[in-house]
Amino acid sequence: MSESYFDWTRKLFDRARIFDKPEALRGIRVLELTTLVLGPTTADFLGEFGAEVVKVELPPGGDTMRYVTPEATYWQNASLGFFPENHSKYHVGIDLHAPEGKELFKRLAAKSDVFVENFRAGTLDKWEIGYRQLREVSPRLIYVAASGFGQWGPFSQGRASYDAVAQTVSGMIGITGFPDRPPILCGIFVGDWFGGLMASTAALVALHYRNRTGEGQFIDLAQSEGLIRALDWTWVRHGLTGQDRGPAGNRDDAIVPADFLACRDGFVALAAGRDEEFHGLCAAMGNPVLARDPRFATLEARQLPVNAEALLALIRKWAAVQSRAELEGLGEKHGFACARVANAEDRYRDEHLRERGTVWQYDDPLYGPMVEQGPAPKLSATPGRMRWAGKPVGWHNEEVLTRLLGLSPTRIKQLEEKKVVGRWAERPGAKPPDEWLKAHAEQQR
Amino acid sequence: MTTEPHSWPRYAKEITDPALVHEKPEALDDLRVLDASSGNFAALFASSILAEFGAEVIRREPPGGDVARLFSPQGVKHRGTGLAYLVEARNKRHITLNLEMPAGRELFARLARHADVVIESARPGQMDAWGIGYRQLSAANPRLIYLAFSTHGQFGPRATSPIPDYDITNQALSGTPYTTGEPAGEGTPESSVPTKQGNWIAWYIGGGWGAFAVMTAVIWRAASGQGQFIDCSPAEAEMRFTDYDVHWYHASQRIRERLGALNVSVFPYTLIKTKDSYSFIAGFSDINWAGLTNIIQRPDLKERFPTTKTRIGESKLLHRELEGWAATLTSQEILDRVQDYVANKRGPGTVASARLNRPSDTLAETHWWERGVFEKIEDPDYGELLLQAVI
Repeated sequence: MSESYFDWTRKLFDRARIFDKPEALRGIRVLELTTLVLGPTTADFLGEFGAEVVKVELPPGGDTMRYVTPEATYWQNASLGFFPENHSKYHVGIDLHAPEGKELFKRLAAKSDVFVENFRAGTLDKWEIGYRQLREVSPRLIYVAASGFGQWGPFSQGRASYDAVAQTVSGMIGITGFPDRPPILCGIFVGDWFGGLMASTAALVALHYRNRTGEGQFIDLAQSEGLIRALDWTWVRHGLTGQDRGPAGNRDDAIVPADFLACRDGFVALAAGRDEEFHGLCAAMGNPVLARDPRFATLEARQLPVNAEALLALIRKWAAVQSRAELEGLGEKHGFACARVANAEDRYRDEHLRERGTVWQYDDPLYGPMVEQGPAPKLSATPGRMRWAGKPVGWHNEEVLTRLLGLSPTRIKQLEEKKVVGRWAERPGAKPPDEWLKAHAEQQR
Repeated sequence: MTTEPHSWPRYAKEITDPALVHEKPEALDDLRVLDASSGNFAALFASSILAEFGAEVIRREPPGGDVARLFSPQGVKHRGTGLAYLVEARNKRHITLNLEMPAGRELFARLARHADVVIESARPGQMDAWGIGYRQLSAANPRLIYLAFSTHGQFGPRATSPIPDYDITNQALSGTPYTTGEPAGEGTPESSVPTKQGNWIAWYIGGGWGAFAVMTAVIWRAASGQGQFIDCSPAEAEMRFTDYDVHWYHASQRIRERLGALNVSVFPYTLIKTKDSYSFIAGFSDINWAGLTNIIQRPDLKERFPTTKTRIGESKLLHRELEGWAATLTSQEILDRVQDYVANKRGPGTVASARLNRPSDTLAETHWWERGVFEKIEDPDYGELLLQAVI
């Protein structure tokens, strides 16, 4: 290969070419009836990789996440909490309590490949638009029911759940933080996001199976069970030894050394599990003798708690007088892992993340310049992409009802008058920016 | 729980019953995966997901075994293998091949000709330098889907970084720990710091995104006949999950800081101290807040703090009020009161609560066992193992 590896990868993944490339899930239509984060992310991830996502909301308020925004402060009348899980979707407002609304909804489901909902178990069955009813409409439909505790089982009926309920009941909070301190929440809605990722992955597995057999199916995804799956060695150790895992602070119990370190200008994470990495760290510390100390020479010796503590004390002392950049540079040079504990500004300004599209800037026709967290995995042939930002309730009513169901403008107007189809409430979170409203009012005049 | 013949939970159980799993077909039994990763639980979780849904996964280790087998709490081994590896070795076939020797690389290339998916976690460029990267393997097998894990990725200014991939550094870069933990000055000097999740959450998120990406590539390959290269950083995988952090900075140059048991957007969505433990409690929308103030019989709080904005502004004060109420109740009593209100619709709003669980508490709840979330398997080599089952 004459071309250098990194010249080749730079061209292969070039961000400027993303929109010239095909999308893996083009032709797949996802219908969602979801709120907050768990359900919306499930559909959003599929949309990032090319699926057409139709988001149905109950007008005029819509998704509760429209009202979850930092310090309850809205931006251009939008909730900042609503954007990260609602990209490139078509927003439709339908009242599903009205019989005509249910009918419209069923017709949309008949035109869809995947349906995602995150109501409490059995709610849509009661509304007669659940799996039992929709599979009659379309046996090829893949129905994803995302919930806190699953569709059946002792906790499943009538118990509300959120991300942090999943963090709590899974045991995740119980193994996080420092011993003898009050429990803390994960800074992000991790139970929702991880549940959404598992639910969308399951939907893809089911799509592959449908390609082979023609059959749809039902997916029962509980966010608490997602986090239980992610608790690595917690359960197997309990089974073998009866030991109950507790919080261990920031150090990794299984990989030594691995810890967060306070340094001159912030915090870094450092890890050197393999012996050769540890030897590199010793060289960086100017203390190559440590690498031959029998307490530290092998990973298995370092894992003994008394040795681990002694070693980490030495490392903490050494790191305290360095800067984040110096420590990161030493990791690069000596082959151990070191990285800053990054905040929002670090990431926002990071050229590397910008070039990779992990921090993704684009112009939205309604909101102007947007900067968001971009697609996570980078695919060479069918890269993910962000096309437009989340929109007010009912923003695409005409487009969707005309294009997918063939309704005439007159019929849509009738349905609006009967409040079967609706759009945004006159409140921040649901409605468009003031400038748009003003321009629109002038246009109408 | 209702169990009449046509009830939803009964029907839902019938169609998803874990007892019937082995009688049903597997979605991915037409895929062969070659996992050549090293010391990387993102890669191992990715291949576990594919294996759980039926793919044939061949796990390649160097002679003597992958270092991942040593990543175990306090170095504890069970019959010679670390505990974390026992969890993610599930359903896989194990072989050894030394990729540092030309003959090992040649065998690997031959195997890759018969694989649908290759997974690796070497330093970016290493496999290519060995002649077994995507460029070379795809020349012989254009349908190949090649998934590579690394902290900084395969392209971009930091791609040449030789640092090994670890969960802790991925968590740090993602931005989550910066927003997790006790605020400066509120706890002990040791505990008032950015805090990581206790489990390998970045590795698990990275592995989840890797499996997701492979499945999109499998679906596209069915239409196009073409494989592709997938570059997955577990740090960026978790970054995708960091709520509105970047949006807030973009909108107002604000950096989200850590708040312990509180949340910057809603209240209450918090952990409170109870008579015997801690509980999570949520009722943050106006109607759910009304429900919670009914449960704690404090209508005055609803009057004084009617909107999200007023509640966030006084969340420390309100947190103390909730803890005052909880001081005489056990976490179970709180859950019972919440459930009584919600299940019997004693008033408006829906409130959620949960007792803080240690893992032993979670294991003691029959819900998960009934649903097949935990399983005790009898392994021919390792004996009885308690494992978390397929999601």
